[in-house]
Amino acid sequence: MQPFISFEDKVILVTGASVGIGQQTAILLSQLGAKIILLATNEDKLVKTLSLLEGNGHNYFCYNLANIDNIESKVKEMVKQCGKIDGFVNCVGIRSRRPISLLSPKEIKNVMDINFGSFIELIRCITKKGHFNEGLSIVGVSSIASHIGGVSVTAYAASKAAVEAAVRCLSKELAPKNIRLNTVVPAQINTPEYANLLQMNGGVDTVLNRQYLGLGEATDVANAIAFLLSPAAKFITGISLPVDGGYLTS
Amino acid sequence: MTNQEKIALIEETLEIDGGTLTENTLLSEVAEYDSMAKLTLIVLCDDEFNKKLTGEQIRSFVTVKDILDFMG
Repeated sequence: MQPFISFEDKVILVTGASVGIGQQTAILLSQLGAKIILLATNEDKLVKTLSLLEGNGHNYFCYNLANIDNIESKVKEMVKQCGKIDGFVNCVGIRSRRPISLLSPKEIKNVMDINFGSFIELIRCITKKGHFNEGLSIVGVSSIASHIGGVSVTAYAASKAAVEAAVRCLSKELAPKNIRLNTVVPAQINTPEYANLLQMNGGVDTVLNRQYLGLGEATDVANAIAFLLSPAAKFITGISLPVDGGYLTS
Repeated sequence: MTNQEKIALIEETLEIDGGTLTENTLLSEVAEYDSMAKLTLIVLCDDEFNKKLTGEQIRSFVTVKDILDFMG
C-alpha cells in the first residue's frame, strides 16, 4: 500500500526555512522523501536547519527576499543546481507591529515587499516554462490576523490578506497548467516569534481565550502544509485553510 | 538630541499636550501612557534611537527620565 503522503525525490523550495514554521515544514517534507531547497537570510541558521533534514540531496540558498529584483536570477540558479521544482512553500514573513501614528509609507512598503511582493515574484519565476514539473503545488503561509485584525498589525494583516487574495486569483489563472495554490492560516503558534510577542505583552495572550485547543505547535502547521502540497489534496485549490485551534469557530 | 527635545518628541508621538511632561513626571500619573503608548514608545526608540526596547525594560520605567536615559 502506498503511503498517504510521499514526496519521494520531489524538489521543494521552502522560504523562511531557518526558523519556526518554515524550519519544521522543511524537516517534515524531508522526512517524507523530498529534496529540500532551503532559502533564508541567515546562513548559520540555514546550515543548522540543513543538519536537521533527513535524507540527501538538499541545498540551501542564503538570500534576502526584500531584494525582489534579483529573485528571477536566484530561481534560475536554483533550478539549474537542484532541478525543476515540484513544490513551493512560502514561510518568509516579517511580523511588523506598529501603531498607525508610526506606520510610515516606508514601513508599509517594506512589509508588503517581503510578505507579499516576494511571494508573487517567486511564483512568477517558478511558474515559467522549464522551471517546474507537472503537478506543481504552492502553499503560502498567511495569518489569522488577516481575518480577525489586531491592534497595531495593520501592515502585517493587510499583507497576509493580499497573499490570500492573490492565491485565489492565481489558482484560477494557473489551473490550466495543472498548478495548485493554497494558503494555511495559522493562529497562535509556539514559535520564537510568539515567545517575543508574549514577552512584550508581559506573558499575557488574550487570543488563547478563543483558541480553545490551546497553543499550536509548528508541526501542526507543517502537517497542514504537507497535506495541501501533496497529491492527496489534488482536488483542493485556492483555499485558505485555518490552522487555528478553533479560533474562527469560537 | 537634548532631554528637552526628547520630551517634546515623546509628547508629540504619544499625543500628549506640549509642556505636560518633565523629567520627574511619574508615568503612572500620565493618563495617555497606556499599552498602546508603550508599543508606540518601543517603535519610536527603534526608529529614532536605534535601540531595542523590551517589554521587561518598559515595565521597569517609573519616570520620564527613565525613558530619556534609555534613549541615551
